[in-house]
Amino acid sequence: MRVSRRLIGVVSLALAAGPAAAAGAVWVASQQGARATRIERPDGAPAASVPVAPSPAVVAAGPGGRLYLSHPDGKAVTVIAADGASRHWPVPGQPFGLAADPDGRFLYVGDWSGNRVLRLSAETGAVEGEVAVGRDPAGLTLGADGRLYVAEREGRSVGVIDTARMARIAGIPVGDGPFALAYDPVRDRVYVANVRSNDLSVIDAGALKPVATVPVGASPYSVAISPDGRRVVVTNQHAGTVSIVDAEALSVAATVPVGRYPEGVAILGGRAYVANWFSDDVSVIDLATLKEMGRIPVAEGPRTLVANQPALGEAGR
Amino acid sequence: MRRVLATLAVLFAAGTALAHGPTPQKIDQTITIRATPDAVWKVVGPFGGLGAWHPDVAKVEVTGGDGAGAVRKVTLKRGGTLVEGLDEWKGAERTYSYRLSDPDLDALPVSSYSATVTVTSDGEGAKVAWMGRFYRGDTGNEPPENLNDEAGKEAMNRYFAEGLKGLKAKLESGPQR
Repeated sequence: MRVSRRLIGVVSLALAAGPAAAAGAVWVASQQGARATRIERPDGAPAASVPVAPSPAVVAAGPGGRLYLSHPDGKAVTVIAADGASRHWPVPGQPFGLAADPDGRFLYVGDWSGNRVLRLSAETGAVEGEVAVGRDPAGLTLGADGRLYVAEREGRSVGVIDTARMARIAGIPVGDGPFALAYDPVRDRVYVANVRSNDLSVIDAGALKPVATVPVGASPYSVAISPDGRRVVVTNQHAGTVSIVDAEALSVAATVPVGRYPEGVAILGGRAYVANWFSDDVSVIDLATLKEMGRIPVAEGPRTLVANQPALGEAGR
Repeated sequence: MRRVLATLAVLFAAGTALAHGPTPQKIDQTITIRATPDAVWKVVGPFGGLGAWHPDVAKVEVTGGDGAGAVRKVTLKRGGTLVEGLDEWKGAERTYSYRLSDPDLDALPVSSYSATVTVTSDGEGAKVAWMGRFYRGDTGNEPPENLNDEAGKEAMNRYFAEGLKGLKAKLESGPQR
Protein backbone atom coordinates (compact mmCIF):
# COMPACT_ATOMS: atom_id res chain seq x y z
CA MET A 1 0.00 0.00 0.00
CA ARG A 2 1.35 3.35 -1.07
CA VAL A 3 1.14 5.81 1.75
CA SER A 4 -0.30 9.13 0.74
CA ARG A 5 2.29 11.84 0.88
CA ARG A 6 -0.28 14.34 2.00
CA LEU A 7 -1.02 12.24 5.07
CA ILE A 8 2.63 11.75 5.89
CA GLY A 9 2.98 15.50 5.68
CA VAL A 10 0.92 15.87 8.81
CA VAL A 11 3.21 17.44 11.37
CA SER A 12 3.00 16.90 15.07
CA LEU A 13 3.19 20.36 16.49
CA ALA A 14 3.65 20.73 20.19
CA LEU A 15 0.98 23.37 20.42
CA ALA A 16 -0.78 24.14 23.62
CA ALA A 17 -3.97 24.08 21.61
CA GLY A 18 -6.89 22.51 23.40
CA PRO A 19 -9.78 20.51 22.06
CA ALA A 20 -11.67 23.69 21.17
CA ALA A 21 -9.38 24.16 18.22
CA ALA A 22 -10.04 20.59 17.29
CA ALA A 23 -13.71 20.58 16.48
CA GLY A 24 -14.43 17.86 13.98
CA ALA A 25 -11.17 16.09 14.71
CA VAL A 26 -9.99 12.78 16.02
CA TRP A 27 -7.90 12.59 19.19
CA VAL A 28 -5.58 9.69 19.91
CA ALA A 29 -4.04 8.69 23.25
CA SER A 30 -0.44 7.44 23.01
CA GLN A 31 0.56 5.20 25.90
CA GLN A 32 4.38 5.27 25.86
CA GLY A 33 4.46 8.70 24.22
CA ALA A 34 2.21 10.08 27.00
CA ARG A 35 0.45 12.45 24.62
CA ALA A 36 -2.98 13.24 23.28
CA THR A 37 -2.62 13.97 19.58
CA ARG A 38 -5.20 15.69 17.40
CA ILE A 39 -5.66 14.46 13.87
CA GLU A 40 -7.54 16.67 11.47
CA ARG A 41 -9.47 15.07 8.69
CA PRO A 42 -6.86 13.76 6.28
CA ASP A 43 -6.59 16.92 4.20
CA GLY A 44 -3.03 17.82 5.06
CA ALA A 45 -3.92 20.05 7.97
CA PRO A 46 -1.44 19.98 10.85
CA ALA A 47 -2.21 18.15 14.06
CA ALA A 48 -1.59 19.27 17.61
CA SER A 49 -0.21 17.22 20.44
CA VAL A 50 -0.66 17.77 24.17
CA PRO A 51 1.59 16.13 26.80
CA VAL A 52 -0.27 14.21 29.51
CA ALA A 53 0.68 12.05 32.50
CA PRO A 54 2.39 8.68 31.79
CA SER A 55 0.61 5.73 30.17
CA PRO A 56 -2.81 7.04 29.16
CA ALA A 57 -5.08 4.16 28.13
CA VAL A 58 -8.54 5.36 27.11
CA VAL A 59 -9.54 8.73 25.68
CA ALA A 60 -13.19 9.84 25.78
CA ALA A 61 -14.97 13.00 24.69
CA GLY A 62 -17.36 15.03 26.79
CA PRO A 63 -19.65 17.81 25.63
CA GLY A 64 -18.17 21.16 24.70
CA GLY A 65 -15.01 19.67 23.24
CA ARG A 66 -13.74 18.37 26.55
CA LEU A 67 -11.46 15.31 26.63
CA TYR A 68 -10.82 12.74 29.33
CA LEU A 69 -7.90 10.29 29.48
CA SER A 70 -7.56 7.43 31.96
CA HIS A 71 -4.26 6.44 33.60
CA PRO A 72 -4.75 2.96 35.11
CA ASP A 73 -1.22 2.72 36.52
CA GLY A 74 -1.24 6.32 37.70
CA LYS A 75 -4.64 6.14 39.43
CA ALA A 76 -5.78 9.29 37.68
CA VAL A 77 -7.84 10.88 34.94
CA THR A 78 -6.57 13.80 32.87
CA VAL A 79 -9.17 16.35 31.82
CA ILE A 80 -8.41 18.67 28.91
CA ALA A 81 -10.87 21.52 28.73
CA ALA A 82 -12.00 23.28 25.58
CA ASP A 83 -9.54 26.11 26.24
CA GLY A 84 -6.64 23.65 26.45
CA ALA A 85 -6.29 23.83 30.23
CA SER A 86 -5.58 20.42 31.64
CA ARG A 87 -6.37 19.05 35.07
CA HIS A 88 -5.25 15.86 36.80
CA TRP A 89 -7.85 14.10 38.94
CA PRO A 90 -6.73 11.39 41.34
CA VAL A 91 -9.12 8.42 41.00
CA PRO A 92 -9.14 5.40 43.32
CA GLY A 93 -8.37 1.94 41.93
CA GLN A 94 -7.26 1.26 38.38
CA PRO A 95 -9.23 3.67 36.16
CA PHE A 96 -9.53 2.32 32.59
CA GLY A 97 -12.84 2.58 30.69
CA LEU A 98 -14.47 6.00 30.42
CA ALA A 99 -17.86 7.34 29.36
CA ALA A 100 -18.91 10.97 29.64
CA ASP A 101 -22.59 11.75 29.90
CA PRO A 102 -23.75 14.12 27.15
CA ASP A 103 -25.22 16.58 29.68
CA GLY A 104 -21.75 17.26 31.00
CA ARG A 105 -22.60 16.37 34.58
CA PHE A 106 -20.87 13.04 35.07
CA LEU A 107 -17.92 10.96 34.01
CA TYR A 108 -18.20 7.19 34.43
CA VAL A 109 -14.93 5.42 35.14
CA GLY A 110 -14.35 1.66 35.22
CA ASP A 111 -12.03 0.45 37.99
CA TRP A 112 -10.35 -2.53 36.29
CA SER A 113 -9.09 -4.41 39.33
CA GLY A 114 -11.79 -3.11 41.69
CA ASN A 115 -14.64 -4.58 39.61
CA ARG A 116 -16.75 -1.46 39.91
CA VAL A 117 -17.79 1.61 37.98
CA LEU A 118 -17.39 5.00 39.62
CA ARG A 119 -19.43 8.09 38.88
CA LEU A 120 -17.38 11.26 39.07
CA SER A 121 -18.59 14.82 39.07
CA ALA A 122 -17.54 16.26 35.72
CA GLU A 123 -17.13 19.55 37.56
CA THR A 124 -14.75 18.53 40.34
CA GLY A 125 -13.71 14.92 39.68
CA ALA A 126 -15.08 13.89 43.07
CA VAL A 127 -16.43 10.33 43.29
CA GLU A 128 -20.17 10.66 43.80
CA GLY A 129 -21.27 7.08 43.42
CA GLU A 130 -20.23 3.58 42.52
CA VAL A 131 -21.69 0.26 41.46
CA ALA A 132 -20.23 -3.25 41.56
CA VAL A 133 -19.89 -4.91 38.15
CA GLY A 134 -18.47 -8.17 36.73
CA ARG A 135 -14.77 -8.97 36.78
CA ASP A 136 -12.31 -6.76 34.92
CA PRO A 137 -14.55 -4.00 33.55
CA ALA A 138 -12.95 -2.89 30.25
CA GLY A 139 -14.94 -0.75 27.80
CA LEU A 140 -17.86 1.47 28.83
CA THR A 141 -20.50 3.03 26.62
CA LEU A 142 -23.67 5.00 27.26
CA GLY A 143 -26.90 4.02 25.53
CA ALA A 144 -30.45 5.36 25.60
CA ASP A 145 -32.43 6.03 28.79
CA GLY A 146 -29.40 6.66 30.96
CA ARG A 147 -28.09 3.15 30.56
CA LEU A 148 -24.41 2.42 30.78
CA TYR A 149 -23.04 -0.78 29.23
CA VAL A 150 -19.91 -2.35 30.69
CA ALA A 151 -17.73 -4.99 28.97
CA GLU A 152 -17.01 -7.37 31.84
CA ARG A 153 -13.95 -9.06 30.42
CA GLU A 154 -13.59 -11.98 32.80
CA GLY A 155 -17.33 -12.24 33.39
CA ARG A 156 -18.04 -13.03 29.72
CA SER A 157 -20.90 -10.61 30.07
CA VAL A 158 -22.03 -7.07 29.45
CA GLY A 159 -23.26 -5.38 32.61
CA VAL A 160 -26.13 -2.94 32.22
CA ILE A 161 -26.17 -0.04 34.67
CA ASP A 162 -29.15 2.18 35.32
CA THR A 163 -27.17 5.35 35.94
CA ALA A 164 -30.09 7.12 37.66
CA ARG A 165 -29.90 4.58 40.49
CA MET A 166 -26.31 3.43 39.90
CA ALA A 167 -27.65 -0.14 39.93
CA ARG A 168 -26.60 -3.06 37.74
CA ILE A 169 -29.93 -4.15 36.31
CA ALA A 170 -28.77 -6.94 33.99
CA GLY A 171 -25.85 -9.05 32.90
CA ILE A 172 -26.02 -10.15 29.28
CA PRO A 173 -23.99 -13.24 28.30
CA VAL A 174 -21.66 -12.58 25.38
CA GLY A 175 -18.52 -14.24 23.94
CA ASP A 176 -15.22 -14.93 25.67
CA GLY A 177 -13.27 -11.88 26.80
CA PRO A 178 -15.61 -8.96 26.01
CA PHE A 179 -13.29 -5.99 25.87
CA ALA A 180 -14.84 -3.13 23.92
CA LEU A 181 -18.35 -2.10 23.02
CA ALA A 182 -20.30 0.60 21.25
CA TYR A 183 -23.95 1.64 21.18
CA ASP A 184 -25.85 2.22 17.94
CA PRO A 185 -28.89 4.49 18.41
CA VAL A 186 -30.15 3.73 14.88
CA ARG A 187 -30.86 0.05 15.55
CA ASP A 188 -30.79 0.32 19.36
CA ARG A 189 -28.01 -2.24 19.52
CA VAL A 190 -24.82 -2.75 21.46
CA TYR A 191 -21.92 -4.33 19.59
CA VAL A 192 -19.34 -6.12 21.73
CA ALA A 193 -15.83 -7.19 20.69
CA ASN A 194 -14.87 -10.50 22.34
CA VAL A 195 -11.09 -10.60 22.42
CA ARG A 196 -10.69 -14.31 23.13
CA SER A 197 -13.51 -15.84 21.08
CA ASN A 198 -12.62 -13.66 18.05
CA ASP A 199 -16.18 -12.53 17.42
CA LEU A 200 -18.63 -9.68 17.77
CA SER A 201 -21.73 -10.08 19.94
CA VAL A 202 -24.79 -8.10 18.90
CA ILE A 203 -27.17 -7.12 21.70
CA ASP A 204 -30.73 -5.87 21.28
CA ALA A 205 -30.62 -3.00 23.78
CA GLY A 206 -34.42 -2.88 24.10
CA ALA A 207 -34.75 -6.55 25.00
CA LEU A 208 -31.33 -6.69 26.71
CA LYS A 209 -30.64 -9.93 24.88
CA PRO A 210 -27.92 -11.14 22.54
CA VAL A 211 -29.33 -11.53 19.03
CA ALA A 212 -26.32 -12.52 16.91
CA THR A 213 -22.64 -13.37 16.89
CA VAL A 214 -20.46 -12.32 13.96
CA PRO A 215 -17.05 -14.01 13.58
CA VAL A 216 -14.27 -11.44 12.94
CA GLY A 217 -10.44 -11.66 13.12
CA ALA A 218 -7.99 -12.54 15.89
CA SER A 219 -8.37 -10.51 19.11
CA PRO A 220 -11.12 -8.00 18.28
CA TYR A 221 -10.24 -5.03 20.43
CA SER A 222 -12.35 -2.00 19.61
CA VAL A 223 -15.66 -1.16 17.93
CA ALA A 224 -16.99 1.95 16.18
CA ILE A 225 -20.26 2.45 14.35
CA SER A 226 -20.89 4.78 11.42
CA PRO A 227 -23.42 7.51 12.28
CA ASP A 228 -25.99 5.97 9.90
CA GLY A 229 -25.63 2.64 11.68
CA ARG A 230 -24.75 0.76 8.48
CA ARG A 231 -21.16 -0.12 9.20
CA VAL A 232 -19.58 -1.56 12.32
CA VAL A 233 -15.80 -1.32 12.29
CA VAL A 234 -13.84 -3.75 14.48
CA THR A 235 -10.08 -3.79 14.96
CA ASN A 236 -8.49 -7.25 15.02
CA GLN A 237 -5.54 -6.51 17.23
CA HIS A 238 -3.62 -9.73 16.77
CA ALA A 239 -4.38 -10.13 13.05
CA GLY A 240 -3.32 -6.60 12.09
CA THR A 241 -6.59 -6.05 10.27
CA VAL A 242 -9.92 -4.28 10.56
CA SER A 243 -13.24 -6.06 9.93
CA ILE A 244 -15.97 -3.91 8.44
CA VAL A 245 -19.30 -5.47 9.31
CA ASP A 246 -22.53 -4.77 7.45
CA ALA A 247 -25.05 -4.09 10.22
CA GLU A 248 -28.02 -5.19 8.09
CA ALA A 249 -26.58 -8.50 6.90
CA LEU A 250 -24.55 -9.01 10.10
CA SER A 251 -21.64 -10.31 8.09
CA VAL A 252 -18.15 -9.05 7.32
CA ALA A 253 -18.20 -6.84 4.19
CA ALA A 254 -14.43 -6.35 4.06
CA THR A 255 -11.25 -7.15 5.96
CA VAL A 256 -8.69 -4.37 5.60
CA PRO A 257 -5.00 -4.83 6.53
CA VAL A 258 -3.68 -2.00 8.75
CA GLY A 259 -0.59 -1.54 10.97
CA ARG A 260 0.66 -3.80 13.72
CA TYR A 261 -1.50 -4.37 16.79
CA PRO A 262 -4.43 -2.13 15.82
CA GLU A 263 -6.34 -1.18 18.97
CA GLY A 264 -8.73 1.77 19.11
CA VAL A 265 -11.00 2.87 16.26
CA ALA A 266 -13.13 5.97 15.74
CA ILE A 267 -15.24 7.16 12.82
CA LEU A 268 -15.46 10.73 11.54
CA GLY A 269 -16.59 12.05 8.18
CA GLY A 270 -16.95 8.71 6.42
CA ARG A 271 -13.55 7.53 7.52
CA ALA A 272 -12.39 5.12 10.17
CA TYR A 273 -9.24 6.02 12.12
CA VAL A 274 -7.34 3.09 13.61
CA ALA A 275 -4.65 3.34 16.32
CA ASN A 276 -1.81 0.95 15.43
CA TRP A 277 -0.31 0.46 18.89
CA PHE A 278 2.86 -1.31 17.81
CA SER A 279 3.64 0.66 14.66
CA ASP A 280 3.03 4.08 16.22
CA ASP A 281 0.67 5.39 13.57
CA VAL A 282 -2.98 5.82 12.72
CA SER A 283 -4.51 4.12 9.66
CA VAL A 284 -7.20 6.05 7.80
CA ILE A 285 -9.81 3.87 6.08
CA ASP A 286 -12.32 5.17 3.56
CA LEU A 287 -15.67 3.61 4.48
CA ALA A 288 -17.01 4.07 0.94
CA THR A 289 -14.23 2.20 -0.85
CA LEU A 290 -13.33 0.04 2.20
CA LYS A 291 -9.64 0.72 1.55
CA GLU A 292 -6.82 2.09 3.67
CA MET A 293 -5.98 5.60 2.42
CA GLY A 294 -2.77 6.08 4.39
CA ARG A 295 -1.16 6.24 7.80
CA ILE A 296 -0.44 9.19 10.06
CA PRO A 297 2.56 8.90 12.41
CA VAL A 298 1.79 9.73 16.06
CA ALA A 299 3.56 9.49 19.44
CA GLU A 300 4.57 5.98 20.56
CA GLY A 301 1.91 3.48 21.50
CA PRO A 302 -1.41 4.87 20.20
CA ARG A 303 -4.09 2.90 22.07
CA THR A 304 -7.45 4.59 21.76
CA LEU A 305 -9.14 7.27 19.69
CA VAL A 306 -12.18 9.43 19.96
CA ALA A 307 -14.01 11.49 17.36
CA ASN A 308 -14.73 14.96 18.62
CA GLN A 309 -17.73 16.20 16.67
CA PRO A 310 -17.70 19.78 15.39
CA ALA A 311 -18.82 22.31 17.95
CA LEU A 312 -21.81 24.55 17.21
CA GLY A 313 -21.05 27.03 14.47
CA GLU A 314 -18.02 25.11 13.29
CA ALA A 315 -19.78 22.31 11.44
CA GLY A 316 -19.40 24.01 8.08
CA ARG A 317 -15.75 24.77 8.57
CA MET B 1 -33.00 -18.44 39.05
CA ARG B 2 -30.87 -15.70 40.47
CA ARG B 3 -28.82 -18.27 42.39
CA VAL B 4 -28.34 -20.44 39.30
CA LEU B 5 -27.09 -17.43 37.35
CA ALA B 6 -24.74 -16.45 40.13
CA THR B 7 -23.36 -19.99 40.26
CA LEU B 8 -22.89 -20.03 36.52
CA ALA B 9 -21.08 -16.72 36.68
CA VAL B 10 -18.69 -18.11 39.28
CA LEU B 11 -18.09 -21.24 37.20
CA PHE B 12 -17.35 -19.18 34.13
CA ALA B 13 -15.02 -16.92 36.06
CA ALA B 14 -13.16 -19.88 37.51
CA GLY B 15 -12.59 -21.31 34.05
CA THR B 16 -10.39 -18.45 32.95
CA ALA B 17 -7.50 -17.66 35.21
CA LEU B 18 -6.11 -15.06 32.80
CA ALA B 19 -5.35 -11.70 34.28
CA HIS B 20 -5.15 -9.11 31.54
CA GLY B 21 -4.01 -5.79 32.88
CA PRO B 22 -4.64 -2.38 31.50
CA THR B 23 -1.11 -1.43 30.38
CA PRO B 24 0.62 -3.59 27.74
CA GLN B 25 4.32 -3.63 26.83
CA LYS B 26 6.16 -4.22 23.55
CA ILE B 27 8.78 -6.79 22.67
CA ASP B 28 10.56 -6.42 19.33
CA GLN B 29 13.56 -8.57 18.45
CA THR B 30 15.15 -9.32 15.10
CA ILE B 31 18.17 -11.25 13.92
CA THR B 32 19.78 -11.76 10.52
CA ILE B 33 20.82 -15.25 9.49
CA ARG B 34 23.11 -16.42 6.69
CA ALA B 35 20.60 -18.80 5.13
CA THR B 36 17.76 -18.50 2.66
CA PRO B 37 14.37 -17.44 4.01
CA ASP B 38 13.00 -20.84 3.00
CA ALA B 39 15.71 -22.67 4.91
CA VAL B 40 15.03 -20.51 7.98
CA TRP B 41 11.28 -20.98 7.72
CA LYS B 42 11.73 -24.75 7.50
CA VAL B 43 13.22 -24.64 10.99
CA VAL B 44 11.32 -21.81 12.66
CA GLY B 45 7.95 -22.27 10.92
CA PRO B 46 6.61 -25.51 12.43
CA PHE B 47 4.57 -24.45 15.49
CA GLY B 48 5.55 -27.56 17.39
CA GLY B 49 9.22 -27.32 16.36
CA LEU B 50 10.29 -24.73 18.93
CA GLY B 51 12.35 -27.29 20.82
CA ALA B 52 14.58 -27.83 17.77
CA TRP B 53 15.99 -24.31 17.92
CA HIS B 54 15.22 -22.52 21.21
CA PRO B 55 17.99 -23.31 23.70
CA ASP B 56 15.73 -22.65 26.74
CA VAL B 57 13.18 -25.26 25.69
CA ALA B 58 13.31 -28.79 27.07
CA LYS B 59 10.21 -30.25 25.42
CA VAL B 60 7.25 -29.27 23.22
CA GLU B 61 4.00 -31.20 22.96
CA VAL B 62 1.79 -29.99 20.13
CA THR B 63 -1.76 -30.81 19.10
CA GLY B 64 -3.28 -29.55 15.88
CA GLY B 65 -0.07 -29.21 13.82
CA ASP B 66 0.17 -25.82 12.10
CA GLY B 67 -3.55 -25.10 11.89
CA ALA B 68 -5.25 -22.19 13.62
CA GLY B 69 -6.34 -23.42 17.03
CA ALA B 70 -3.32 -25.69 17.45
CA VAL B 71 -1.89 -25.75 20.96
CA ARG B 72 1.71 -26.25 22.05
CA LYS B 73 2.80 -27.00 25.59
CA VAL B 74 6.35 -25.71 26.01
CA THR B 75 8.36 -27.02 28.96
CA LEU B 76 11.37 -24.88 29.80
CA LYS B 77 14.72 -26.26 30.95
CA ARG B 78 14.75 -24.00 33.99
CA GLY B 79 11.23 -25.09 34.92
CA GLY B 80 7.76 -23.91 34.09
CA THR B 81 5.36 -24.60 31.24
CA LEU B 82 3.90 -22.25 28.63
CA VAL B 83 0.65 -23.28 26.94
CA GLU B 84 0.33 -21.34 23.69
CA GLY B 85 -2.43 -21.31 21.06
CA LEU B 86 -1.85 -20.74 17.34
CA ASP B 87 -3.97 -17.92 15.88
CA GLU B 88 -2.71 -17.83 12.35
CA TRP B 89 -0.07 -19.68 10.32
CA LYS B 90 0.76 -18.45 6.81
CA GLY B 91 3.44 -20.56 5.15
CA ALA B 92 3.45 -18.55 1.93
CA GLU B 93 4.21 -15.39 3.91
CA ARG B 94 6.50 -17.23 6.34
CA THR B 95 4.74 -15.94 9.43
CA TYR B 96 2.72 -17.25 12.34
CA SER B 97 0.97 -15.63 15.31
CA TYR B 98 0.17 -17.20 18.65
CA ARG B 99 -0.85 -16.23 22.14
CA LEU B 100 -0.40 -17.48 25.68
CA SER B 101 -3.32 -19.59 26.85
CA ASP B 102 -2.34 -20.23 30.46
CA PRO B 103 0.20 -18.10 32.31
CA ASP B 104 2.91 -19.70 34.42
CA LEU B 105 4.83 -17.15 36.44
CA ASP B 106 7.60 -19.71 37.04
CA ALA B 107 8.22 -19.87 33.29
CA LEU B 108 7.88 -16.16 32.47
CA PRO B 109 6.78 -13.39 34.87
CA VAL B 110 3.93 -12.20 32.62
CA SER B 111 0.19 -12.71 32.78
CA SER B 112 -0.50 -12.84 29.06
CA TYR B 113 1.07 -12.21 25.69
CA SER B 114 0.61 -12.56 21.98
CA ALA B 115 3.44 -12.73 19.49
CA THR B 116 4.32 -13.12 15.82
CA VAL B 117 7.33 -14.73 14.14
CA THR B 118 8.09 -13.58 10.59
CA VAL B 119 10.90 -14.51 8.19
CA THR B 120 11.79 -12.14 5.36
CA SER B 121 14.68 -11.94 2.93
CA ASP B 122 17.58 -9.68 3.86
CA GLY B 123 20.20 -9.28 1.14
CA GLU B 124 21.48 -12.78 0.48
CA GLY B 125 20.28 -14.01 3.84
CA ALA B 126 17.18 -13.88 5.97
CA LYS B 127 15.82 -11.70 8.73
CA VAL B 128 13.71 -13.14 11.51
CA ALA B 129 11.45 -10.79 13.47
CA TRP B 130 9.89 -11.97 16.71
CA MET B 131 7.61 -9.32 18.12
CA GLY B 132 4.85 -9.29 20.66
CA ARG B 133 2.78 -7.60 23.31
CA PHE B 134 2.52 -8.65 26.94
CA TYR B 135 1.17 -7.68 30.36
CA ARG B 136 3.25 -7.79 33.54
CA GLY B 137 2.90 -10.75 35.92
CA ASP B 138 0.96 -8.80 38.54
CA THR B 139 -1.44 -6.49 36.76
CA GLY B 140 -2.46 -4.68 39.96
CA ASN B 141 -1.28 -1.19 40.77
CA GLU B 142 1.47 -2.18 43.21
CA PRO B 143 3.20 -5.15 41.58
CA PRO B 144 6.13 -6.72 43.47
CA GLU B 145 9.51 -6.16 41.80
CA ASN B 146 9.64 -9.63 40.30
CA LEU B 147 6.27 -9.18 38.59
CA ASN B 148 6.39 -5.57 37.39
CA ASP B 149 6.76 -4.16 33.87
CA GLU B 150 10.56 -4.11 34.08
CA ALA B 151 10.75 -7.75 35.18
CA GLY B 152 8.41 -8.73 32.36
CA LYS B 153 10.41 -6.77 29.77
CA GLU B 154 13.68 -8.28 30.90
CA ALA B 155 12.37 -11.84 30.89
CA MET B 156 10.53 -11.57 27.57
CA ASN B 157 13.41 -9.84 25.82
CA ARG B 158 15.81 -12.41 27.15
CA TYR B 159 13.58 -15.31 26.08
CA PHE B 160 13.13 -13.91 22.56
CA ALA B 161 16.81 -12.98 22.19
CA GLU B 162 18.04 -16.38 23.39
CA GLY B 163 15.66 -18.08 20.99
CA LEU B 164 16.80 -16.06 18.00
CA LYS B 165 20.45 -16.61 18.90
CA GLY B 166 19.80 -20.33 19.11
CA LEU B 167 18.04 -20.30 15.75
CA LYS B 168 20.93 -18.45 14.13
CA ALA B 169 23.50 -20.81 15.65
CA LYS B 170 21.60 -23.86 14.47
CA LEU B 171 21.20 -22.58 10.90
CA GLU B 172 24.68 -21.15 10.47
CA SER B 173 26.51 -24.13 11.95
CA GLY B 174 25.02 -26.65 9.51
CA PRO B 175 27.11 -28.50 6.94
CA GLN B 176 25.99 -26.29 4.04
CA ARG B 177 26.13 -22.57 4.48
